Amino acid sequence: MNPPILKAMSDISLRLTVSPPPHWRSGRTIQGMMRAHLLALAPAAVMAVVMYGVRAFAVMGMAGTAAVLTEVICLLLQKRDVDIDNYSALYAGVLFAFLLPATAPWWLAVIGGALTIALGRTVFGGFGCNPVCAPLVAWAVCRFSWPGAMDIDLNLAAYMANSPVDQLMHFGVSSLGQFDYMDLFMGRGLGGLGSSQVVALAAGGLFLLAAGWIRLFIPVGFLVGVAGTAAIYWAIDPTAYADPMFHMVAGSTIFGAFFLAPDTASSPVGKIPQTMFGLIAGAMVVIIRVYGVYPDGVPFAIMVANLLSPLLERLRPKYFGVR
Amino acid sequence: MLKIHYSLDQKPADSIRDLEPPKVLNISVRNLVLKTRKGAVLAKGDQVAEHPSPGGGACHAAQGGKVKAVNYHSLTVQCTGGEETVAPVDVASMGKGSELLRALQELGVDVAPLTGSAEVLVVNGLNPEPGVSVAQQLLRDGGEELRAGLEMARKLLSPSRAILAVSKGEDVSIPGAETVGIRAKYPYSLDALVVRTVTGKEFPEHTRVINVMDLFDLGKVTLTGLPVTETFMTIDGHNYRVPVGTPVRHILEVLDLKAAPGDTIVLGGPFRGESIYSLDQGVKKEDYGMFITSSDAIPEVQDAACMNCGECVLHCPARVLPHLISRYAEYERFEEAERYGLNSCFECGLCAFNCFARRPLLQYIRFAKAQIRAKGQGTQS
Repeated sequence: MNPPILKAMSDISLRLTVSPPPHWRSGRTIQGMMRAHLLALAPAAVMAVVMYGVRAFAVMGMAGTAAVLTEVICLLLQKRDVDIDNYSALYAGVLFAFLLPATAPWWLAVIGGALTIALGRTVFGGFGCNPVCAPLVAWAVCRFSWPGAMDIDLNLAAYMANSPVDQLMHFGVSSLGQFDYMDLFMGRGLGGLGSSQVVALAAGGLFLLAAGWIRLFIPVGFLVGVAGTAAIYWAIDPTAYADPMFHMVAGSTIFGAFFLAPDTASSPVGKIPQTMFGLIAGAMVVIIRVYGVYPDGVPFAIMVANLLSPLLERLRPKYFGVR
Repeated sequence: MLKIHYSLDQKPADSIRDLEPPKVLNISVRNLVLKTRKGAVLAKGDQVAEHPSPGGGACHAAQGGKVKAVNYHSLTVQCTGGEETVAPVDVASMGKGSELLRALQELGVDVAPLTGSAEVLVVNGLNPEPGVSVAQQLLRDGGEELRAGLEMARKLLSPSRAILAVSKGEDVSIPGAETVGIRAKYPYSLDALVVRTVTGKEFPEHTRVINVMDLFDLGKVTLTGLPVTETFMTIDGHNYRVPVGTPVRHILEVLDLKAAPGDTIVLGGPFRGESIYSLDQGVKKEDYGMFITSSDAIPEVQDAACMNCGECVLHCPARVLPHLISRYAEYERFEEAERYGLNSCFECGLCAFNCFARRPLLQYIRFAKAQIRAKGQGTQS
């Protein structure tokens, strides 16, 4: 026990709170931030349940529960305060679930949720220290370990609709005539459980922007990067490359722009670095979709851009008064 | 309900009010050189302590009385209400030079910004922080003292330009200074940002800043020859003339303010002020406000890890990286903290204000600066 500190004139009849300045604060907390993020995911989750049935809810629930329980175990092992009431583990687990096919088996959701926390965050120091967006780490591990169980096109073959990004990769631009972009925008295309609910995710993202929980730089940079790069390819040869509008509404572009890329720990800080980060991640999405072996480029694009964060953070203005 | 705002433009409603004099003074003498002892009988204006730094102003008794107790922290004076005062020093007629500086210092003026010479003298006439209206009040009501203060400052520094910075739209001036309007929004009232607005340069050389409160004190000392023994504070929306050393308990009693256990009482402003731990603590010369924040109004500071959201960097007017500075300061790696802009920081507090993780960023920054300063002194001696 620390020895008591005797202060001159200390007074026990009225104990005041002594705290460091500033004594006014914005009142924003991590808990509030994560609650707002979960609320922003809610419309997409509801639409996923409507589209895929209660299985979608079960996948989200299992991944979220596994993430929270793993966080508890990791924090206890590290002898740290268990602060799962800030919802950050639950949010990360649900983000991972959003990338799964809705028919994902229970063990995949549980392992993924656990990996999100254990491998995505804890090994790097816990919440806020992960160099790469945590749900994407788990997604990548699962994608390489169980490609069959993670393949969206394969697992959702029973549905009438097709996955737009898989159609583009396997059958080329000529096959895209089957898609009405308005349908894709309304979420009526196959994709990750929640990550293809474009309109609901866009609504959630705009809510986060309007409430000030995320800043414009990364989402706008990301969307401009996707649209700009796609437009360049499209201008080169419209018969070989899909148009920018397709890339905006297909796959998990909107999910990446508003939820994966602005992940606080793995994205850089500062206006210029954040904008550059968004542009690079967005450009990588289209490049992976054009040349890569993975249909939806978003997860790997964001992971690549995450690794560039420390470099991008060097793009900052000079400090005040430094010449 | 606490209303948080950044606006600095709050026109004082009435004139400066006097506070009923306290029976006891608790003069803060922490880090000062004591010049009196227990049992001594003081007249009003008697020097009680000197400042150890080269330019720092001395500290005086605001009322006559007997020194009842002294410790490392404060000096308690039991006031007798005696009328006898010290003899005035005629500083107005003294010639420019070290003798005049010394005399001013003895009378409680911090002469560090008045030493040497400067090309530009900026008078910062903005209210220092939201909720404080002392600067606007003094600009409106303290014309004579401000004129005398500016004359004295010009005599000491002989600048080629003197500029008074006020809130935009405010129609005030001091003879001898050109008036410049500045957007009245925190943090634009801070010296470094005021100087940038009026000169267009960041941390320019040969430029001195003095705020209106200090200029008023300088002017009053020049006019009366008596030491500085009172400060002006915004309390509950009004401006009061408060003797230095007045215990906070006395202010609360006289003005019928209530503080509940767990509340925070701040001397100074809401962004940069110091929270007190005891109601017996006395008001200091540089305090310009008193605020009571109830314990449930604001989520408390936490010893949490940074999660790299970047809000502090996006809000920082000095363009430094508070998230990295605080992490290095936390692990006592102060040299690395300097690499991320520690020396450019002018301590506005907006980083900690906006921190989602509720980290005490401004505290870490001040801690790092103090440690580096202490280390520098250690190697010199």
